[in-house]
Amino acid sequence: MPTTFRIKRFNPESESPQPYFQEYELETEQSDTVLDALIKIRESVDESLALRCSCRGAICGSCGMRINGHATLACKTKVVSLESPDGTVQVEPMNNMPVIKDLVTDMGGFWDKIRQVQPWLQPAGPKPDAEYIASPESMKHLTGVMGCIMCGACVSDCAALEVDHQFIGPAALAKAYRFVADPRDGASDSRLLALNTPGGMWDCTRCMECIEVCPKEVGAMDRIMDLRAKGIDQGMPSTCGSRHAEVFADLIEHKGRLDEPLLAMRTFGLKNIGQMLSFLPMTLRALVRGKLPRSGPLHRAIPGIDRIRRLFRHTRNLP
Amino acid sequence: MTTAYTFDILVLGAGLAGMRAALAAHEGGAKVAILTKVHPVRSHSNAAQGGINAALTDRGDTWEDHAFDTVKGSDFLGDQDAIEILAEEAGQDILALEHMGVIFNRNDEGRLGTRRFGGQKRARTFFVSDFTGQAILHVLYEQILKANLPVFEEWFATSVVRDDDGRCAGVVAFEIRSGQFAFVKAKVVIIAAGGLGRVFEPSTNAMICTGDGMAIAYRAGTPLMDMEMVQYHPTTLKGKGLLITEAARGEGAYLINKDGERFMEQYAPNMMELASRDVISRAEQIEINEGRGINGCVLLDCRHLGKRVIHERLGQIFEEAKTFANIDLTEEPIPIRPGMHYSMGGIKTDVDGRCWDPQGGWKGVPGLFAAGETACLSLHGGNRLGANSLLDTVVFGRRTGSCAAAYAQSVEEPRVNNSVSDKDHNMVQEFLKRKAHADTVAAIRLDLGVTMNKHLGVFRDEEGMEEAQGLLPVFRDRWNRVAIQDKGRVFNTSLVQALELGMMLDCAQTIVRGAMIRTESRGAHFRTDCIQRDDENWLKHILMYHNPKGLPRMDYLPVRITQWKPQVRVY
Amino acid sequence: MKYAFFPGCVSKGGCPELYQSVMQVYPQLGIELEEMTTASCTGAGVLQEKDLRLGDILNAHTLALAEQQGLPIMTICSTCQGVMSQANHRLKSNPEYLAEINRVLAEEGLTYRGTTRVKHFIWILLEDIGEETILQHVKHPLTGLRAAPFYGCYLQRPREALGFDETPSRAKSLETVIDLLGAEVVDFPGKTRCCGLPLLTINQPNSLKMVAHHTSDAKEYGADLMVTPCPLCHLNLDGLQSKAAKQNGMEIDLPILHLPQLLGLAMGLEPKGLGLSRNLVATESVLEKIGISV
Repeated sequence: MPTTFRIKRFNPESESPQPYFQEYELETEQSDTVLDALIKIRESVDESLALRCSCRGAICGSCGMRINGHATLACKTKVVSLESPDGTVQVEPMNNMPVIKDLVTDMGGFWDKIRQVQPWLQPAGPKPDAEYIASPESMKHLTGVMGCIMCGACVSDCAALEVDHQFIGPAALAKAYRFVADPRDGASDSRLLALNTPGGMWDCTRCMECIEVCPKEVGAMDRIMDLRAKGIDQGMPSTCGSRHAEVFADLIEHKGRLDEPLLAMRTFGLKNIGQMLSFLPMTLRALVRGKLPRSGPLHRAIPGIDRIRRLFRHTRNLP
Repeated sequence: MTTAYTFDILVLGAGLAGMRAALAAHEGGAKVAILTKVHPVRSHSNAAQGGINAALTDRGDTWEDHAFDTVKGSDFLGDQDAIEILAEEAGQDILALEHMGVIFNRNDEGRLGTRRFGGQKRARTFFVSDFTGQAILHVLYEQILKANLPVFEEWFATSVVRDDDGRCAGVVAFEIRSGQFAFVKAKVVIIAAGGLGRVFEPSTNAMICTGDGMAIAYRAGTPLMDMEMVQYHPTTLKGKGLLITEAARGEGAYLINKDGERFMEQYAPNMMELASRDVISRAEQIEINEGRGINGCVLLDCRHLGKRVIHERLGQIFEEAKTFANIDLTEEPIPIRPGMHYSMGGIKTDVDGRCWDPQGGWKGVPGLFAAGETACLSLHGGNRLGANSLLDTVVFGRRTGSCAAAYAQSVEEPRVNNSVSDKDHNMVQEFLKRKAHADTVAAIRLDLGVTMNKHLGVFRDEEGMEEAQGLLPVFRDRWNRVAIQDKGRVFNTSLVQALELGMMLDCAQTIVRGAMIRTESRGAHFRTDCIQRDDENWLKHILMYHNPKGLPRMDYLPVRITQWKPQVRVY
Repeated sequence: MKYAFFPGCVSKGGCPELYQSVMQVYPQLGIELEEMTTASCTGAGVLQEKDLRLGDILNAHTLALAEQQGLPIMTICSTCQGVMSQANHRLKSNPEYLAEINRVLAEEGLTYRGTTRVKHFIWILLEDIGEETILQHVKHPLTGLRAAPFYGCYLQRPREALGFDETPSRAKSLETVIDLLGAEVVDFPGKTRCCGLPLLTINQPNSLKMVAHHTSDAKEYGADLMVTPCPLCHLNLDGLQSKAAKQNGMEIDLPILHLPQLLGLAMGLEPKGLGLSRNLVATESVLEKIGISV
């Protein structure tokens, strides 16, 4: 069927290089992927279209790009599966990375962040003569995160990275988890400590884009949550991030429902009085407009709170 | 103005063999750099799915058993001294990988688990679900990061350079991102640039597998060996030819024809679906040719394995079947057929990766080394066993790196003029200047691939091969005149593909020539006009030397036999 | 059609105008609500950071209560919807895990069998009440009003838990409703992106940058207002908008309405009753645009 591809071009060698969109009309088959179409364009219409591709089978990670606004692998995306109101397929390079040419991005920054998490096994103690002994249960879950092919889709669509390039990003954090969760690695404390800093694991905004766009179901955000839980569990120095989670849980246990002002105050703590005070104007305006609860600035607990508290207690007793 | 760099050792290619060699060379005290046309983790090693073989003696297995399986698998063309080393050192290399962090599958005792694989009676294939290649590749890259080795990422090598004494002196290459040429001087070059799958269409191989390493070594004067030995993998998807791992059969999947029969009973009654790949591919092709196939395929049936086994141990191919063939492996069988997959042939090396014989038995290029699929020791002879390629890369990657480091310490820096890169730079300029006409690189590549698949596939005959041979000069001539539209310097993938096609043409010539010369059937090379194996005349390797003026010049090397005399090969 | 109504924490806390406007609109639409007063907060994804299983237990409790009443749950918050859907999905797809959670619920004499459906008010509007009925109640079509939809992450991802495969129309629910109410949908890049609230107390500059980007983008694309089905998003986009504007050197002033507020206006209800005076970014311009005297 005839399909229009609207592709973002950029040629750094042109006189005044600016990105622009170019449209191509193509006859596509039922089974065609976007990569098939891009190759058809290169081979029959416009050889100058630059893109990275290799395995065609969603294992090498070369062909990451944004298709209809979301990052994915071109080789895995069937043209027929894409819905757009006017039948056009929009193809752009991945976001959050500089563009070298057309659909080819500079992944240097991506790799710098991977390097940051010291992505190699750091076993504790002497090497055994044979293999390290590790139960299947303790190793099985690593298959998910080891499946990451470093395609960059998660980094492309990360909302936190979009506003802050200092954030270490979902791919690096998932890679860090791979080692923290490996029973053979002896450095999980120092790894978590390093991620417990600004730009680290607490800067994820929990938007789930990385989970949604990952072509290998690595579930980066879930791994970031795992890292956070481990950090809290292993008694990392508290940050606003970890306090936020702890205070939240504490408030629910005692009131059953969120108490926003108390949550904010206790998250900030005394060290961040400046930040807390910066919210004063907004809080006053809210007060004036009647945006605080009718029951008063400090919420009452919900009816039946005892049961909620018991559920917390039961959970603490679980293995 | 070209830039120049100097290293002791330059490794060309960053797949398993390349990175393993680089690490070993680095540990051996050499100043090492890697040059690769794609980022290391994009290398085609990541497509290897099923596993890696090793005989661990504490499991009651013996390396001799593994070695014999490999010798038989090779249809007795494999050099047994090299095979003995492969089998004997396998265990230590698997453990080294595990210590580096590879997340091999575990059994209930927490030790490394195994699965069965083709051509072997014992289960000795270690694995990571069904993405073993990727799992090992990423761990080796982690080690490269740890060692902080310099990597020329997305650089394309155009020639191997030799000094006036004929010794290897480095490579000429250009940075794909800028088009800038450079001469990378090195006492040693280790070529580990992978296979040549794209010479055939279709193929399981990635688009980058264009035989670059083999071609530039060949042009530099070192011979290629056993090029006619091209493996067709029994289970590839129709259309793009994507691979479905042998591990499925290792876990117990069946091959059935349109009548629902497990036809391997007729061809390999003992090993059935786990016979050697060449035997199975021929069996499937016969079923298809004789009308017992469905739409040019037979069926791989995994249903009886159950959901748990499929999701835990074959998860990647489950996804692949769903995405690329619209099939749920737990509910239906999947149509597959033989597809070009691996080159047993390659750059001739000895057991330490040297592309020359220090004893002078055959001529090569001193200072040049090779490892991995690019090389041919020969380990795999006429047919490679599944899960032996991953093993080949790590065992001989390591050995080659170590030997290369020792060699580098024993020689002086080569003396070569930096203007050595001018020739290739000018060649590229000439290419870019050509005026466009109707022909394209893509068209020539397709014609070449279809021709090779048609006449140099599972079944070959004189007539077909002659037709292929007749077309090669035509393709060459077209390539000499073809123009490319993209005249830019920055990331000119059209230029890269044009140069790759030149490499593929060189490789194709050696494949066709070898196939025509070898008048017997052995391993993957099966001729319907000489169906018998002829040990009397053909228990030898065919070496091919580059001849710019005509057909390759040939030589022979006898197969090295240690323990196992050739015998009748049945499965 | 009767629903167990889960108002969530924020509609009873920092966004009382949401609760207020829901109370105004629902009686007219032919649905009955029974408020779940003893159900706890869903955890909002934050509690789950500390302990995922604890979050699942609290949500299983809520789901079990509704199951006891034989009622589907109605939420009015994208975050409540998303978090509960994810918990429900985990429980329903893993019988072993469900059994483990039920062992804890059993201590309170409860069991969750996995039958409760959780639906956001916007899905109830489109799927249960139906477009025809909605149109019948549109007494004051919002002609000429240009509204930018802002879903909130939890109402868009992950697709599987939210039932997008069974009901693909959910992906565009907010745009469909805006259209039904007679307003024009302003399609802008940030409509399915993050408002930044989860980062507000952790990395304020980043959080406010997200607010500034999305609201200013919507304005640039011609929006008169932004409408959202999530009060947490509302807190950031409305409550923190002026701070975000200042911090990023912009002037924005884009009114942010809760979905039931926009619906109420189209139904011809009084602005005061819909709590519009409580929104921190003034909403008078919206009223003027649709010809309602302030």
